[in-house]
Amino acid sequence: MIELKSVSKFFKTKEGKKYILKDVTITLPSHKNIGILGRNGTGKSTIMRMLGQIEFPNSGLIKSEKSFSWPLGLSGGFVGNMSGKANVKFVCRLYGKSNKEIQKTVDFVKEFSELDDYFDMPIKTYSSGMKSRLSFGLSLSFDFDYLLIDETLSVGDAKFRKKSKEALLKKIESCNVLLVSHDMGTLRDICDVGIVVNRGNIEYFEDINLAIKKYALINKA
Amino acid sequence: MRKRSSFRIFLAVQNALFLRELSMRFSSGRMGMFWTFFEPFFQILIFVLIKVLIFGKTGGNFDFSVFLALNFIAFNMFKNIVSKSMGSFRANKALFVYKQVKPIDTIIARTLIELFITGCIIIIFFSIGYYFNFDMEMKNFAMVAFGFFALFLFSFSYALFLAVLNVFFDSTAKIIGFSMTPLIFGSAVVYTLESIPVEFQGLLLYNPLTHFMEIIHGFYFYALDDHFVSYSYISLWTLSFLYLGLWFYIKLEKRIISA
Repeated sequence: MIELKSVSKFFKTKEGKKYILKDVTITLPSHKNIGILGRNGTGKSTIMRMLGQIEFPNSGLIKSEKSFSWPLGLSGGFVGNMSGKANVKFVCRLYGKSNKEIQKTVDFVKEFSELDDYFDMPIKTYSSGMKSRLSFGLSLSFDFDYLLIDETLSVGDAKFRKKSKEALLKKIESCNVLLVSHDMGTLRDICDVGIVVNRGNIEYFEDINLAIKKYALINKA
Repeated sequence: MRKRSSFRIFLAVQNALFLRELSMRFSSGRMGMFWTFFEPFFQILIFVLIKVLIFGKTGGNFDFSVFLALNFIAFNMFKNIVSKSMGSFRANKALFVYKQVKPIDTIIARTLIELFITGCIIIIFFSIGYYFNFDMEMKNFAMVAFGFFALFLFSFSYALFLAVLNVFFDSTAKIIGFSMTPLIFGSAVVYTLESIPVEFQGLLLYNPLTHFMEIIHGFYFYALDDHFVSYSYISLWTLSFLYLGLWFYIKLEKRIISA
């Protein structure tokens, strides 16, 4: 269960405060995979970052007993001049894995990401698709209650997209996801329920298809 | 995900950051591992050589080259902790996506790295000194170690304070950058406080670094002592910087993370 209690989040711009969320109170049920929809710039990623506790609401509270992964976005989390392998080891150490577990994770990520020789090359030589392969593979080897996935699935080539979708479907048997995506097919396949972020408000839908309908309506307006 | 205590998390983060920082330095360039230790070593060596070759060993009844090496090791530890920590919020921004990495962790890790490197340099100098038969007998090992430790704490407190200040006034790093070299001459690094005119002694004693230097070489050489040192004065500086640094940090932590 994720509780938001009168949460407000704004950014200061020259024209005053720009609200991402304005006094939002909502409870998201447990054991559901949640799709997050909204137009660009409405604050989907900010909400993800707030759930990942690396961004903080200006007022209000976000409460949850669950553990969240770091937000798996297109960028970030990796150090450019270290190899993919070194980065994987680093994240494992952050989460307190033992050396044996680290070796297991390294092997798994290397196999899953199909980076081959690039796995031992500095991250700065990676394309964005390769980075998200690494990041996605890595996140699969932790047991979070919620994976926060921000568009990562839509990069990568067709073959890897298919593979990662299958891996994710398998993973969500044991954990849940919060997924930001503009690909309605992916959202339908993976998510049970949906929220639509629009003009500082969050609307919750019991069925992802209803959320998609609402999103289509917003896009037309 | 299994629950970990805050302290376990802190240790895991420090372990990860320390190893990452070290491997980053080792992997910078072809001879990264060598230069990690020998670049600061040569910096000190060159200073000592120039001073001794040009001005001679005008120290009195102790080995002036040992004196200079000792002081420069201590001063460089201070300088590197401060200059490396000041930019560490910005340099490690990418790591704040992992919620267990707090900005202050990156400063602690960098400070520990500098302490580690300083330890290695001391070992290198000792080996070389013994090989060439320098007179390196120490008067009071415990107090010299204490001097280094006190200086280490002071450097960390000062670095934390400056790092937080640097978040808002990015001129801080620049000012501190060019004030480091003159500080060498104002902190009893290249001379003993006793050897300079009395009217300057009082002035230099306002500088807390002078006190740390006087502790370190005062307890190393039989010919010197610590009668200039005010322990309460340096404690006051250390605690004030630590208090202010932590206070500002706590207020600003969230802003630094999501900046």
